[in-house]
Formats: sequence, structure tokens, C-alpha cells
Amino acid sequence: MSISAIIVMLASIVALWGVAIWALVYTLRQEERKQSLIASQGGFECYSPRAFRDLERYLEKGSTTEAHLGEFQESRREQLESLQRYEARLYH
Amino acid sequence: MGTQKREQWSHRFGYLMVVAGAMVGAGNIWRLPYVTGENGGGAFLVAYFVLLYLIAVPGLMAETGLGRYTRRGVIGTFRAVYGNSRLVGLGLAIVIFNIILMSYYSSIVGWSIYYAAHALIGTFTQPDLDPGELWSYFSASPMLQVSMHTLAMLILAGILLMGIKGGIERAAKYMMPFLFVSLVAITIRGLTLPGAMAGLEFSFSPDWTYLAKGSTWLAALGQALFSTGLGWGIALTLGSYLGRNDDIPLGGGVFTAVGNTSFGLLAIFAVFPIVFAFGMSPSSGSQLAFVALASAFGSMPGGYLWGVLFFVSFLFANVTTAMAITEVGVTTYSEERDISRAPAVLTICGIIWVLGIPSAVDARVLGYLDFAVGNWGLPLATLFVMITAGWKFDAHRLRVLNINRGANIYVPRFWESFIRYVIPLIMMGIIAVFFFNSFHETPWKTLSGIGGLMVIIVVSVAIMSRIEHAGPNSTTPGEPTS
Repeated sequence: MSISAIIVMLASIVALWGVAIWALVYTLRQEERKQSLIASQGGFECYSPRAFRDLERYLEKGSTTEAHLGEFQESRREQLESLQRYEARLYH
Repeated sequence: MGTQKREQWSHRFGYLMVVAGAMVGAGNIWRLPYVTGENGGGAFLVAYFVLLYLIAVPGLMAETGLGRYTRRGVIGTFRAVYGNSRLVGLGLAIVIFNIILMSYYSSIVGWSIYYAAHALIGTFTQPDLDPGELWSYFSASPMLQVSMHTLAMLILAGILLMGIKGGIERAAKYMMPFLFVSLVAITIRGLTLPGAMAGLEFSFSPDWTYLAKGSTWLAALGQALFSTGLGWGIALTLGSYLGRNDDIPLGGGVFTAVGNTSFGLLAIFAVFPIVFAFGMSPSSGSQLAFVALASAFGSMPGGYLWGVLFFVSFLFANVTTAMAITEVGVTTYSEERDISRAPAVLTICGIIWVLGIPSAVDARVLGYLDFAVGNWGLPLATLFVMITAGWKFDAHRLRVLNINRGANIYVPRFWESFIRYVIPLIMMGIIAVFFFNSFHETPWKTLSGIGGLMVIIVVSVAIMSRIEHAGPNSTTPGEPTS
């Protein structure tokens, strides 16, 4: 095989198999963590700190329409409650 | 509507195997290796990876997210987003496209049943066998074709009757690992054959001039879209069985798209080294699987085992795809008629079986339907779903409220531009390019195909308009229906 073909082949393996295996292992580990948090304390926070900042920023800007305001507020309330209720965190 | 209690995936691994199985089908095994080799090898792969990560990954996140948000099938999701509007009819059109797609895909499942059975009884290792003759005999026999199509639909109905967890999830949990292990084993065997490296050279050797050709990008785009099934309602339907705090971006987006293509890469390693080692010409489709490889397995030491592994794996790849396509109709029909799963499965499988008979009897019908649905029906479905997610539902709302909820990876703001602009524009472009290319070569076939699809869309919109305005199922646009 030519060098260029070998390089492309190895790059394809990393870009596909590497990413797919990482995604599979990471998501299964996170799922285990979620299950153990549910078993030990009954639940976990729904959003990562970064994702929660997006949610709060959106509410602060008041850019959401009246029809959807309720669900944004409900998600925010849920997150704040879970942060208070659960000591161990899913997101660090 | 929707008084049935909704099932959920029992385990994360099961869901991941179902979505991977849904996307890994015949195209990964008998098309990708050839398309790669014919379009500049490594250059095609570069174009393909770019489009996979830019379009398929973000698009699948949006589609899965929409399904998890509404916890409904395709029509229910459109109703949740558009309210009681005639645009709910676009959801019905997508379901009909899936049923038509399944009507001829069932024949392909039937072919793989026939060849898996022949592999098991050792036909390919018979010294006087001519695989070309076997394929010609089989494809020219309407009775055999209809029998295999019927058997395929019976197997699918049997799996689907067992439910989401007990049927689809359980089947995928066994079939996908078997497919993976079998392809790895065939790869190892193939790469140890003398002359096998020429197959890898054909697939991977890059001709960078192909990156400047529009045809390479078009082929890569077609493969990235059709292989991942983006916007066909499959990811939406499977996502509707996820829990509220289940991850979407990593499992429903990255793993679904990249895992699916990883099987395609494995198929390159498994198929072409064997084809080249036996001095055969590279090809695709039925000629590759049922003639070239059947012949190669017959000539290999231990050919019985390799034949069984390949053809049973190929059958599993097709069955997992077929059950996901059929599930789009089953979930939606069950919800819309407010009936239990069993009658919904039997009705949808019955409709598909009847509609699939012409494709089983005459391969030209199969080719025509594939031409119309593949070139325009499915890209239109993708366009409808992406516009619904990006504009009507609002990509920002979808990302902030839903996609990033319980997510294993954070999805940043620029994702929204892909859903609102990039994917819809590319879909419109691909529909236009397919139209102009086909219109030049086969004007009447093109016009009749597009005309037929337009009729389906208009009739679907008219039907749903009537139902939505007559029925009691008033829904506020943008609110989940459960």
C-alpha cells in the first residue's frame, strides 16, 4: 500500500472508530453515573452549569415569547430545586 | 389521543444499538466501499467526514430532540409544533414516504433472507455453483421474490409485536454486536489473503483532484444523508421513547452518525480485500454481495463459515434498519388511532406487504420507487423536519431547553445556524441538483416521480386539514402533547 493510502486509512480509523468508541464508552459511563445518583440520592441536576447559564441568560433577556415563557421558567425552577436537593453533582 | 402508556428504552446500550442498527443497512455494506473507491478514495472520505460532522451530527441531534420533547411519533410531533394546522399533513407525508421506502426495502430484506438461508445450507461451497446463475434465477422468479418479501414482513411483524423494549431493543442488542464481530472476523480473514492489500489501496488511496469536483461532494452528501437517515422521522420516533434526562447530543447525534459510518468503514475492510484477493472487479449492490462475494466465499478455505457470517450479518443489518423504518408508521398509527401496538403493527405491516408486492414481482418498480423516494421524497422529509425544528419550534428553544438537558456534551450556540440555515439550504440544493441531473437523462420518469410525491404531499395536507378541524384534539402550537 502507498504511504498516502496508509495515512488516510489510519486517519479514517481515528475519525470514525476512535470517536465512535469514545462516544459509546463515555455515554455508557455517564448513564451509569446517572443511575447511581438516582439510586443514592433520588435524582440529579438536569443541566450542566454552562447549559444552565444559557437558560438563565435567555430568561434575563426576556426574549422568549409568552407562550414559551412558562416552560423556560419551569426548567429553571426544576434545576434550582435539584441543585438544592441533591448534594452530589452529575456535572462538575 | 395517545392514552396508551408510552414505553421507554430499558437501557442506554439498547437505545444506542437500535439507532445504530436503524442507520446501518445495506448501503453501508454494499455501497459505501464502492462509492469511496470510485470517487477518489481518501479524497471522498475527507469530503464525507466533513459533511458527516457538519450536517448529519447536528441534524440528528435536532431530530432526536424534537422527538424526545414531544414524546410523540411524526404526526403527533408536527401537531405539537404547528397546532391544529393543515401543516400537520407534512407529518403524514413523511410517514407515507417511510411506508413506500419500506415497501421496496422489504424486498432487499427478502434477498438477504434467501442468501442467509443458502449460506446456512452450504450452497456457496458447492463446487458446481455459479453465483451469477443463482442470482439470475432468484431475481427472475416472482414467486420466490414474493415469498421472501412475505417472510421478511412476517419476521418484522414478529419483532415489532414484541414491543419497543422486548422486540426492537432486544433484537438490536443481539444483532448489532453480532454484525460487528462478524465483520471484524471477516476483515481479519480477508486481510490475510494474498493480494488483499489492493482492495485497501482501491478504497483509501487518495486522489486529491476529486476534492475539486462537485460530483465527489454530491456523492459524499448523498451518502452522509441517506446512510444516516437524517430527517426521515426515524431518529424522531426512536427519540420519542427516551427519558427526559437521557442524553441526546452524544448518543442521538455523534454516536448515531459516526457509529453508523464506522460500520461502513468496517465493511470497506471486510469486503474489498476479499474481492481483490480473488481478482474480481469492484462493484456495488446486489452484484457485489450476491455474486462477487458469494463466489469468493465458495473459493475460500473455510468458506462455509465466512459465508454464514457475512450473509447472516447482512440480514441483521437489513432487519434492524427495516424495523426502525416500519416503527415510524407503527408508532404514529398507534397514537393517531389511539389503539394498542398489536393492531397497529399488523395494519402497517399489512399495508407495507401489499404495497411491496409490485416491487417484489418487478425490479423495475423497485428501481422507480427508489428513484423517486430516494432522490426527492426523503430529502423533502429532511427539509420538513429541519425547518420544523429550526424555525417553527425554534432551534434556540430546542437547544437550550431540550438538547442540553441531561446531555453528556454541551451543544454550543453555533449549532442553531446549522439547523436553521445550513441543512435546509443544502437540502434544497440537493433536491434541485437531483432534479436537473435526472431531468436531462429521464424527463418523464423525473416528472412522474416528482408529480407523484407532490400528490402525496397535497393529499396528506388535505386529509390532515380535514381531520384537524373536525377532531377534538385541539393542541396549542409549541406545547408537548403529553
